[in-house]
Amino acid sequence: MLRKELVAASAEPLVLSLLARGESYGYAIIQEVKARSDGKLNWTDGMLYPVLHRMEHRGLIKSRWGESETGRKRKYYSLKKDGKTAMAKHHEQWSLVHSVLAGLRKEQYV
Amino acid sequence: MFDLEDAIADWRRQMLSAGIQSPVPLEELELHLREEIERQTKAGLNKPDAFTSAVQKLGPAHTVQTEFMKVDKIHSALNWKLMEIGLTLVTILFPLFIGGTVLKRASYIDMTAAQELSSLTALAVFSLLAWSGRLGGRFLPVIQKGQIRNAILYSCFVPLMLWWVAFVRLIVPRHDFTMGEFLVAFTWAFFTPAGASIGLNWGIEAAARKQVANADLSASQT
Repeated sequence: MLRKELVAASAEPLVLSLLARGESYGYAIIQEVKARSDGKLNWTDGMLYPVLHRMEHRGLIKSRWGESETGRKRKYYSLKKDGKTAMAKHHEQWSLVHSVLAGLRKEQYV
Repeated sequence: MFDLEDAIADWRRQMLSAGIQSPVPLEELELHLREEIERQTKAGLNKPDAFTSAVQKLGPAHTVQTEFMKVDKIHSALNWKLMEIGLTLVTILFPLFIGGTVLKRASYIDMTAAQELSSLTALAVFSLLAWSGRLGGRFLPVIQKGQIRNAILYSCFVPLMLWWVAFVRLIVPRHDFTMGEFLVAFTWAFFTPAGASIGLNWGIEAAARKQVANADLSASQT
């Protein structure tokens, strides 16, 4: 299991990156993140929605009500222009942390 | 006998009592809950177990609500900022504009120097009253309840509007004002009480918000 702080910090970049591939809704986002992390990134389901609403207020994403193939009501979220910029920034920062960490780790084995 | 709809209705009541608003975001959370229950029953779980597990995964109502409240706070902070920009413009640019018009047209409409001065004073008093409320907010009582603040707001502005209507409909027609006299009466009657009302409410609102901001800071430090 990932640490709480890391889970919280990674929520926004993950949601942005997922939505960059096309619109999606809360339940699917959670399932996708779970599947891609082999269940190790396990959000408390309800906590995703405040994150989504906050991102919507900040103008990073937008939402619309729609229907699933089976007629179930769903709220779909998609990326806005500011969201794309924010995502690029996140990627840059996480890559930086990752490369520093990977570099240091390599040195330990030398 | 377990009834899924009853159980969901119960869950909704719990969420509502924790302060989660309906329909947004409660409806979205309920759709999520239903989808999770459906997935789990398809995977072979019985309905009561699927329901319990889905509710557990969604998380405790008050924790989710605390997160949602942070969203509202951001939203309301943004609105307040816009409001302050608007008020600043109204209390500075508007009197400047009217004052400029008075100065420019004074000779054209036969305004005496005294009348001119009086009108400009009224406009200055308007700005001063509004800003002394804003800047002197710390001397005003901190009223935590938004409802009471709204009540004060309405009890200031409703009489003000009535006074404006009375001035235009009752007082002006009964006096044979020259243009200059009218402008003096108009600036004092319209702007001065408005300045006092804006100042008082601006100050009260600013004081209440400052208190909240300080409380937040200390909470995050502990």
